[in-house]
Amino acid sequence: MPDQSRIERARRRARAAKAALGALTALVFGVAFVGAKTHAPGHAKGKAKPLGAPASFERAVEKSALQSGQIAPPAQPPVVSSATS
Amino acid sequence: MSVERFRAMGCDVAVAGGGSPRVAAVLERWEAAFSLFRPESELCRVNRSGARVVLVSPLFARALGTALDMAAATDGLVDPTLCGRWAEVVVCGRLLSRPRGLALDLNGVVKALAVDEAAAALDGPGFVSVGGDLAVRGPVDVALSAGGAVRVVAGGLATSGTASRGGHLVDPRTGRASISCWEQVTASGATCLDADVGAKAGFLLAERGPDWLDERGIPGRFVAAHGEVVENEAWLAATRVVPACT
Repeated sequence: MPDQSRIERARRRARAAKAALGALTALVFGVAFVGAKTHAPGHAKGKAKPLGAPASFERAVEKSALQSGQIAPPAQPPVVSSATS
Repeated sequence: MSVERFRAMGCDVAVAGGGSPRVAAVLERWEAAFSLFRPESELCRVNRSGARVVLVSPLFARALGTALDMAAATDGLVDPTLCGRWAEVVVCGRLLSRPRGLALDLNGVVKALAVDEAAAALDGPGFVSVGGDLAVRGPVDVALSAGGAVRVVAGGLATSGTASRGGHLVDPRTGRASISCWEQVTASGATCLDADVGAKAGFLLAERGPDWLDERGIPGRFVAAHGEVVENEAWLAATRVVPACT
C-alpha cells in the first residue's frame, strides 16, 4: 500500500504541474494578445472615426464667416439706396 | 461723387469710384458662370450632369465652398441645396461631390461675392451697388428703402425680404417660400457677402432675427409688414448720434 500511495502522490504532483503549466500558458498568451492589440501598428487601437475637420476648426470657420461691417449716422445726403434683393 | 448706372445680373447697378468697365466685366463673369437662366452656364451644366463627382472651375469651387461655409455658419438657413442637404455636398480642390440629382442654387451668395470682387476692382474710393446690395471703399451715405439713411463706413450693406419681388426667399427648412414677420431686413457686414447672408438669416429667423444678429455683433434693421422698424442693439449702438461737447 505504501507503494500505491507514493504512486498516487506522484500522479497528484504531475496533475498539479500540468495545471500550473496550462495556467501559465494561458496567462502568457493573454498578455501577448493584449500587448499585440495595443502596440502592433496593424491593429486599430480604438474605434475608427470618420475623417473630417476638427470641431475647433469648424467653430473658427463659423466664427469668421459672418463679420460685422462699420456703419455710422449719415453725414451727407445719400448717394445710393439699399433695396430688397 | 459721380455715379455710373447700368444693368447687370438682372439688376440695376450703380458704380462710383471709377473702373465701371472692369466692374461690368466682373459681374458678367459671375453671371456667365452661375445664372440659372443661361443654359450654358457652369451651374446649369453641373446641375444637368448625372455624375456624382464633377470637375468644376476654380471660381465655381470657391463660390460653392463659400456657400457651404455660410450654410454651416447659419445652421443651414442659407443653403446652396435649398433643401437642407448641404452637408452632403463636398468640395475638394476642384472636385465637387454631391448625391446624384441634387441640384445646386448659389443665388444666396453669388451676387454678393460678385459685388465684393467688383468693389475691389474700383479705381479708388466709391461703391458698387447691384440691386441694392452694396460694397464700399471709403464712407458712403446710403438711403434705406423703408426710410432713413445710414453711413456705411466699411464693408457692405444688404437688404433681403419680400418687399420688391414677393416671397422669393426659399426657407431650406421647409423647401417653400419663406414666411416671416418681417417685410425686409437690412444688415451690415464686413463684406457684402456677410451683410447679405446676415440679412437673409435675420429675415428667415423671424422674431429671433434681431437677437441672432446681435449675438454675432451684426447691425440689423428689421421692417415689419405694417411699416414698424426694429433696429437691433448693434445697429442702435453704431448709429447713435452722440452730442458733441462744447
